[in-house]
Amino acid sequence: MASNIALTTALVRDTFREAMARKIIWGFVGCSSALILFFLFIMKIDVVEGAFATMSIFGRDARTMDLTRLVREVHGGIAAFLYTAGLFLSVFASAGLIPTIFEPGRIELLLSKPVARHHILLGRYVGNVLVIASNMFYLVFAVWIIFGVKTGVWTHQFLYSTAITVFVFAILLALVLLVAVLSESAVVATMVTFGVMLVSPILAQRHLIERLLSSEWSRDTVRYFYFALPKVFDIGRICREIVLGHTVTDWMPVWSSALFGLVMLLAGLYSFSRRNY
Amino acid sequence: MPSDYAIETEGLTKIFRNFWSGAEFVAVDGISLRVRRGTTFGLLGPNGAGKTTFVKMLLSAAHATKGRALIFGQDGRDPSARQPIGYLPENHRFPTYLTGAGMLDFYGALSGLDGAARKRRIPELLALTGLEKWGDVRLGKYSKGMLQRVGLAQALMHEPALLILDEPSDGVDPIGRRQIRDMLHALEERGVTVFLNSHLLAEVEAFCRDVAIIHRGKLAVQGEVRDLTAGSGYRVKAEHVPERLAAELTATGAALFAGAGAQNGFREFQFGTREAANRSVDLLRSESCEIESVIRTASTLEEVFMRTVDGK
Repeated sequence: MASNIALTTALVRDTFREAMARKIIWGFVGCSSALILFFLFIMKIDVVEGAFATMSIFGRDARTMDLTRLVREVHGGIAAFLYTAGLFLSVFASAGLIPTIFEPGRIELLLSKPVARHHILLGRYVGNVLVIASNMFYLVFAVWIIFGVKTGVWTHQFLYSTAITVFVFAILLALVLLVAVLSESAVVATMVTFGVMLVSPILAQRHLIERLLSSEWSRDTVRYFYFALPKVFDIGRICREIVLGHTVTDWMPVWSSALFGLVMLLAGLYSFSRRNY
Repeated sequence: MPSDYAIETEGLTKIFRNFWSGAEFVAVDGISLRVRRGTTFGLLGPNGAGKTTFVKMLLSAAHATKGRALIFGQDGRDPSARQPIGYLPENHRFPTYLTGAGMLDFYGALSGLDGAARKRRIPELLALTGLEKWGDVRLGKYSKGMLQRVGLAQALMHEPALLILDEPSDGVDPIGRRQIRDMLHALEERGVTVFLNSHLLAEVEAFCRDVAIIHRGKLAVQGEVRDLTAGSGYRVKAEHVPERLAAELTATGAALFAGAGAQNGFREFQFGTREAANRSVDLLRSESCEIESVIRTASTLEEVFMRTVDGK
């Protein structure tokens, strides 16, 4: 049998080809490039030039501190925007890449090859994550370079927002994968995932909700859903904290969401291995 | 020890259960089949007989409820057992975003070919299937016949020892069919086992050495095409045959079968031996029936199929 790396490479490359053909990659590159051009443009306008010039008349230390804080704040805002909009766009655009392989006439041929079922699905999953990761990295890295060149402030924390966004996307894609295997429908998979994303900011207010609820079982239900589902909203907050250079004290949303993703991924792989095509 | 059989199934059964009602449907019912290494094998059966489910179980695309399938002696559920298989599915849906060469490259990689081998095989197979000028064209632009040919090329990428083809000449013009048949004959001469799932009886009869007929999920007939069609005989066509005499000839066993009712005043009878045909001609003449023709026939696979499926 072929080496696992060669097989994974073939499956990942096929996912990229499909993403190109469906214009997913071009769509992302277009949006990202437009945003990059936008940042290039606003960095050249007089108001911004003037703001930087004003800071330069302060003493050296004060200027650096203020400029760094300003850049961090701007980075934080951009990271929060990219995290929210990027996740919705990524799930919406790429969720179809997994269910397409279940099409009759296509799946039989894939399964006839000397490749384990879990490998086929994992190859698609990894390919899908890499499609999104490459686009996120392109955008964040370009914005980081623009701000760095313009201000001379190079805060590496902004680059972590790529890893965090891709990490949460990978968790949500695991849910897409499970629902797609069970339903064989990209629409259902996308709807369920959007549902989980939308319910996240509500569950993040669980302390407030618990105070409003009268019965213990309903409070338990809210708690259960909060801990069981991925904490997209909370991780978004953590992402901003990291970009701003603050210390994160509670990592529970990260590891519990990772656990959710892992369970979804394993359940998806198991269901796929049991299905008849 | 290497197996003498390319495919061996033991009591292979597939029962589909409705999730909500719990109702069961037996698609394949305890099929035990052996396909010799290096032979050309045809799987026949009417629509819904269970042929496709059977093939899917061979490839582990569907899981057997009972029984097992061995590919060259190895359990078909093991992915490595599928290494020697080249497969062309019926109603295939190849990714239309790939070019012909790209598709061969992708499936070649999944079949375990390294980059250098794929680079060598792709132009060879495109030339073999008459698609050498179409390698860089997306599959979305291919005609049905071209898709069938590139699908066959895909199945041959890694030089498989067992070729499983589901309706390979579907949508292919007569010249293309001829090319496919010639290609399969060349593979047969090289010792490749060809397993053909087709509803084209003439195609199976012309190409396959062994055949099996599946009916209602069960194995109804299996054997060599030569043996199954060995029943030669005589066909007598006569006019003005009374119903009583037609029934008598069939009931006494003189006629293997009688055509269903008179057509334009003529009836046809099939006799197994020259003696039976002669006696019946005498009988028909004694009842003033006019003999239109007496023809020596060879039993066809179609007749075997119809007898198996319809009991005619």
